[in-house]
Amino acid sequence: MAEIVAGVACSHVPFLAMHPGFEYAEEGQRNRVTAGFARARELLEAARPDAIVIFSTDHFDRCFFDNLPAFLVGVGDEAAGPATPTLPIPRARVAVAGALGRFVVSEGMEGGVDFALSEELALDHAEIVPLSFLTPRWDVPIVPIVVNAFAAPMPSLRRCHDVGAFVAGCVARFAQPWRVAVVGTGGLSHWVGPPETGKINAEFDRWFLERLARREVEQVFAKYPRNELERVAGNGGNEVRDWLAVAGAMPPGMRAEVLAYEPVAQWATGTGVMAWSA
Amino acid sequence: MSRYQMDKFLRDVNRDQTLARRWREGAAEVFDGYALSAEERAALARWEVRRLYEMGANPLLLLLSSMAAGKSMRGYIAALRGEAQSRA
Repeated sequence: MAEIVAGVACSHVPFLAMHPGFEYAEEGQRNRVTAGFARARELLEAARPDAIVIFSTDHFDRCFFDNLPAFLVGVGDEAAGPATPTLPIPRARVAVAGALGRFVVSEGMEGGVDFALSEELALDHAEIVPLSFLTPRWDVPIVPIVVNAFAAPMPSLRRCHDVGAFVAGCVARFAQPWRVAVVGTGGLSHWVGPPETGKINAEFDRWFLERLARREVEQVFAKYPRNELERVAGNGGNEVRDWLAVAGAMPPGMRAEVLAYEPVAQWATGTGVMAWSA
Repeated sequence: MSRYQMDKFLRDVNRDQTLARRWREGAAEVFDGYALSAEERAALARWEVRRLYEMGANPLLLLLSSMAAGKSMRGYIAALRGEAQSRA
């Protein structure tokens, strides 16, 4: 009974919300990235979502090898963060749409996606940075779904896309007539910690964006089996799983557009924003 | 060698500012409670990031814990690339 009304996929590089940090980037790049986020916000607000399902990644500040879920759904009443003090990003607090989150988990158990759940899921920059641009009033409840993208073995690219599609099916079966947006954050190419840290693969990033815009995700799965994606896009590039989840969740008639892409050397990240609208 | 124990220490440094500070100050007791080899303790105590990376420490945790302990990203990258070898 609920419906998917919009989608956004975007980078969550902490520099976007750090001052200084944001200013390290060249002015033209900063302005184009900011404009992309502003347009995504416009499209999101025009869709009037009652809730936002947000696919994001963990950076070992919520999950670790002692208890490692592939897909972790936050189902409490609210979420706050950042979970760790290392990155100087703003603190944030937002309501959690627990009813929808619980429904997704329950449907998953019946339908073949073994989600983990948390009543106390904290936020990290993966949620805080994008939502500070997309919903700066923090007034839209979220269903956070944290995807493992840094601790091998991680769910496959295809699996993440298909989980996005599964969640869309849950939305359609949800009892409340909600308008639901889907956001995915992370990427694009970046290396976080290995010797290649600072490298960006703009060629991959633009190719990937075009595949999503054209709904040609099968080409992504075919070209990057197993751990091949990390070799060309970095360990941070594994976060495109969240972009694929959004793509999987979008109804066929939605218009996909790339709103910004900048290889920002000072942020060490191929920084992008994409949106799907009716 | 225990990659899990190394990663656990680095994860804890990222979460706990007191631990990060004590590590930065060179306090030896920060390693108590972690089943680390002598080689791992030595590399962690001296913040030998390239050695830690070669021993299999998770690179994201290496970077985040280094920043939590007051290192800049630039300083981390310089230290990591110091001897210009990469892990196979």
